[in-house]
Amino acid sequence: MSDSSTTETAEDEQPTTTTTTAGETVEEVQDEWIEYDFDGPAKFSATDLNVWYGDDHALHDITIDIPENSVTALIGPSGCGKSTFLRCLNRMNDRIKAARVEGSVELDGEEIYQEGVDLVELRKRVGQVFQSPNPFPKSIRDNIAYGPRKHGDINTGLLARLLGGDDREREEELVERCLRGAALWEEVSDRLDDNALGLSGGQQQRLCIARALAVDPEVILMDEPASALDPIATSKIEDLVEDLAEEYTVVIVTHNMQQAARISDQTAVFLTGGHLVEYGDTDQIFENPQSQRVEDYITGKFG
Amino acid sequence: MSTADGGRFGRLQNLDEGTRRVGAGSAVTIVATVAAFLLFPAATIYPLLGFLAVVAYGWWRYQEATAKVVMALMTASTVVILGLITLYLLWQSVPVLRQMGIGLLTHVGATMWSPNDGVFSLVPMMWGTFLTTIIAMCVAGPLGIAGALFTSEMAPRWAREIIKPAIEVLAGIPSIVYGFLGFVIVNDYMMRELSLPIYGSLFGAGVVIGLMALPTIVSVAEDALAAVPDEMKDGSVALGATSWQTITAVTLPSAFSGVSAAIILGVGRALGETMAVTVMLAHTQTLPDPLYDVFGPNGQETLTSLIASQYGIASGDHMSALFAAGVVLFITVLTLSIGSQLVEARMREKLGGGA
Amino acid sequence: MNTDASRNDLVKRGNSTLGVAAVLLAAGALLGALLGALALFEAFAVTDAVAGLSIARWFGVLLAGLGVALLGVGATSRAGLVRSEPDRTAGPVAGVAFSLVGLVIGGLLASQTLGFGTLWPIGALIVGAVALLLTVYPRGDLGATLPSGLLSLFTGIVVATGVIAPGWSWSPIPGSFTLPGDIAVPLLAIVVGFLVAWMAARAYGGFGTQGKQASAYLLVSASAAGMLALLVVLVSYIVVRGWAPMTEGVKWGLFWANWTYFYVPPIHRYVVIDGPVLWFHWPFVMNGHALLNDVNGIMPAIVGTVWLVLGAIVFAVPLGVGAAVFLTEYAGQSRFTQLVEVSTNGLWSTPSIVYGLFGWAFLVPRLGNGFSILSGQLVLGFMLLPLVIITSREALTSVPNAYRDASAALGVGKWETIKSVVLPAAMPGVTTGIILGIGRIAGETAPILLVAAGSPFPSDAPNVLTSFQLSATPPFVTNDALLQATSALPYQLYAVITAGVNKNAGLAWGTALVLLLVVLSFYAIGIASRIYFRKRLEA
Ligand SMILES: Nc1ncnc2c1ncn2[C@@H]1O[C@H](COP(=O)(O)OP(=O)(O)OP(=O)(O)O)[C@@H](O)[C@H]1O
Ligand SMILES: [Mg+2]
Repeated sequence: MSDSSTTETAEDEQPTTTTTTAGETVEEVQDEWIEYDFDGPAKFSATDLNVWYGDDHALHDITIDIPENSVTALIGPSGCGKSTFLRCLNRMNDRIKAARVEGSVELDGEEIYQEGVDLVELRKRVGQVFQSPNPFPKSIRDNIAYGPRKHGDINTGLLARLLGGDDREREEELVERCLRGAALWEEVSDRLDDNALGLSGGQQQRLCIARALAVDPEVILMDEPASALDPIATSKIEDLVEDLAEEYTVVIVTHNMQQAARISDQTAVFLTGGHLVEYGDTDQIFENPQSQRVEDYITGKFG
Repeated sequence: MSTADGGRFGRLQNLDEGTRRVGAGSAVTIVATVAAFLLFPAATIYPLLGFLAVVAYGWWRYQEATAKVVMALMTASTVVILGLITLYLLWQSVPVLRQMGIGLLTHVGATMWSPNDGVFSLVPMMWGTFLTTIIAMCVAGPLGIAGALFTSEMAPRWAREIIKPAIEVLAGIPSIVYGFLGFVIVNDYMMRELSLPIYGSLFGAGVVIGLMALPTIVSVAEDALAAVPDEMKDGSVALGATSWQTITAVTLPSAFSGVSAAIILGVGRALGETMAVTVMLAHTQTLPDPLYDVFGPNGQETLTSLIASQYGIASGDHMSALFAAGVVLFITVLTLSIGSQLVEARMREKLGGGA
Repeated sequence: MNTDASRNDLVKRGNSTLGVAAVLLAAGALLGALLGALALFEAFAVTDAVAGLSIARWFGVLLAGLGVALLGVGATSRAGLVRSEPDRTAGPVAGVAFSLVGLVIGGLLASQTLGFGTLWPIGALIVGAVALLLTVYPRGDLGATLPSGLLSLFTGIVVATGVIAPGWSWSPIPGSFTLPGDIAVPLLAIVVGFLVAWMAARAYGGFGTQGKQASAYLLVSASAAGMLALLVVLVSYIVVRGWAPMTEGVKWGLFWANWTYFYVPPIHRYVVIDGPVLWFHWPFVMNGHALLNDVNGIMPAIVGTVWLVLGAIVFAVPLGVGAAVFLTEYAGQSRFTQLVEVSTNGLWSTPSIVYGLFGWAFLVPRLGNGFSILSGQLVLGFMLLPLVIITSREALTSVPNAYRDASAALGVGKWETIKSVVLPAAMPGVTTGIILGIGRIAGETAPILLVAAGSPFPSDAPNVLTSFQLSATPPFVTNDALLQATSALPYQLYAVITAGVNKNAGLAWGTALVLLLVVLSFYAIGIASRIYFRKRLEA
């Protein structure tokens, strides 16, 4: 499914599209396009990214640079392609048979849509937390240790012991560190061997975050991680996200404007049809949007 | 949704008048019908007509109540049929039990099955069933799971959409057709190439049964694998696990109860398979020598093939012994069935019903 | 940009050598296995010579070559001559597999070649343990290649040097089978070929997780492909062998003939209408068995099957659907429903021969005291019942509750709702289940054998339709034909086999094909309609 594409350097140019059915919209979108400059290196830079599901053109010419060690929020009405864009960043779209991706996404300057990319390596570096919590039907400990075990960083079990390399203690440490990192340690430290499906929804979601931390990623993608949770659990997740930004690059999709305003450093607004309409500092986007449509969306006039 | 009152016969006073009237009338007449059929088959028609009359009247007066009562009786019929099967098999096997005692299941000696001498021991047949089932599952178990994994997790979408229904259709091939192929191809081949002393072998029969159980196992196991939610698999892949690691660590364990149910179903099929073994085996009611010799001339009989090959020449204790063979089969298969339901219930409990 | 030194590269480079080696070796090994299978099925004789060497020895050469190459690949990787990322170990599954192989080889060597006598388990254990250690202890690349390479080299040498050759034979159990060389060589090629292909694929991506994935996928896909191919070959074989006897003597013609004529009074004339008439004669399915027939056919068996299946449907479908409605719509969770559930599953898994025994003891004495269609219908109905209940329940539970609620919100009673909303919505699913059930019982032989089977080669079909008679005495309605024994398609096939296939080969293959067509078309229709209705539900 990997369509390797032209890896030209992202020029400071507006994306140019000519062929589309909704020609007017595109014109408008280009007019509204705002350049966003930031200091420091870009973790991701997407250039002219297009995604189709069959004949359905779900993302149009997305060009965006996402800075390192910060929280980037993606907002926009339902069906505008936020999840689709997120899945492009760790190539989870490869798993959707109908999806076709064109364009370029660079992670630390390295193209992830070129031939020979090791998806395992990519996903180790770019972790993801899903909309609804999806812990494995295993113990809490096994959930956290899942990634490192699969990558051979931690060996446990009979064979490992026979070969003289049982990493039980390291695993113990890792589990505690990740659970603390996800602000879950206090709640579950006494029942690490219980089935993770016995946790509450909010706990499950934090477990999924802890599980992603255990792989030691550089980026964490979150797709509406709090949508299924109550306000208290949500605020816990929000605090967590802010903490995570010190070490990780976080890209988070949310439907909740206040949430985006509270936790993100910069915000990208997608509008219907799969267009990136505005991108900039969160404060600027929410206080002084350049585009009328974005203002309407943010103030709740449409969407 | 459904209400609870229909299933609870204990709370009769809660039922409305129509239900009570029709229920009483039809229950009495239907019990009489069954009793008449059991005791005086020729007179069955009278209570049956009575039952029809009650139902017809009820339908006219209280349609819903009558429908409910009739459907409840229909539901009860499964229990009645299973009960009757159990009863009749046990009852018919009493004579041979009386004669052989527990020796029916344990007697080992030079002669283990000789209707003329009144010696009936099911040991060779149970052993034959055991061996053919083991061989069949060695063929069908791994191949079945491989087929299910391939169809559900590895094959491209278009291939899956062809393979899945094709496998289900193949599951419908009647066992006598497999028996026929086994008889003319497998038996013939083994006779020719392996210089077997006798036409037929437990090995050949086991392999054919395994092939026969294969599509069923693939189909049921595939359903179980496909039912594992994609979100769970995505969660694993997003952590950098390969698809194979996801399959072994997440998909297969989550589908464990379904996959094991498929295997148990396959074992049940293999145990109860009749026609293929009946036409393929040489019907020697002895124990193989050595016991694991699945190619030799001895021991070529299973519980099912014994019944199918001897019912025509049997009477008295001999026939009773065939029923005893049926009882052994029946109990084994019922145990498997209930066991697999328990496994499934336990798994559902463990998974918390959620995922 | 990435400063973390411990990170691996995002893009894999330098593994292409190993990748090519993996693909070549696995392909070679699978080719060996495939050729072995062909030789086993006698597509060619292993004794034939190709380029001056018998095929059997070529198998040996291939295996030895694969072994050497595999060992070479492992050594190159271990020595660091190519870039690889081997796992710590080749893993427990490979360990178990090769220790089993080691057990077998050790046991055979000890008992057959070295003559250890009863001490052969010692040999087996030693070789098995060594194989286990060789697989599990070394690094992933050596662990994968060393045991499999040695195995392949060893068997290759044994076969290539003619130690195991077509003339060789082995009979481990006196009076049992004899394994000849021309079977043993292809068998070895298949088993060793699969093991080598499995381990060679590990080299893909450098003996790491990617290699494990590739090897597992290879093994699973190859097994699945083999299984599918075998099943398809079986069916095609029946079609090929049965087609000629089934269609023997089929004649048809198009004639211009009289359709009808009538008298028209006003014009005092007869009006005669002619038209094309298709005449069709298919002896195999229209004839019975008789001395003077040009082609002996199976018409009575077909008619018998139709009656048996019809009777079973009439008995089981109302009963099963009613029970399913009660269970899903009225009954809550109670002891009773649990009992019914257990009973239904029990009935579903009860072997068909047990149904036969039950019918023999319960129905036969009560229904005319002899084998009869009626008994057969009831027994098949008992077998159909659990299937109808299970599939109907599935169909009923998949009707969205919103339908029921919507109807109830309009003030419609429960029973009316079931009749007018729930049942129609569930009908496709119920029908599909019934069609599949029919396919199943139409092919059942064992129960028919014990309760309904009559003459194996009848000349006439049972005449059920015209045999109904009313009478004034108790049963009031009688039907002699229903109380007579019958033939049926599966029973007919069984009868031909027991009568000796050689004498009636054509009849046997033709019957098998007709039976297959009947049963599989029920299945095909059932499954196609299920797919259709599911698609429509999703759309
Ligand atoms: N697997 C898929 N197959 C086909 N089309 C899809 C698939 N996933 C998404 N789409 C389509 O792509 C478009 C964008 O979907 P996406 O899920 O990215 O939206 P979203 O912005 O995340 O919406 P929401 O806020 O509701 O989650 C939609 O029109 C959707 O119908
Ligand atoms: Mg979304």
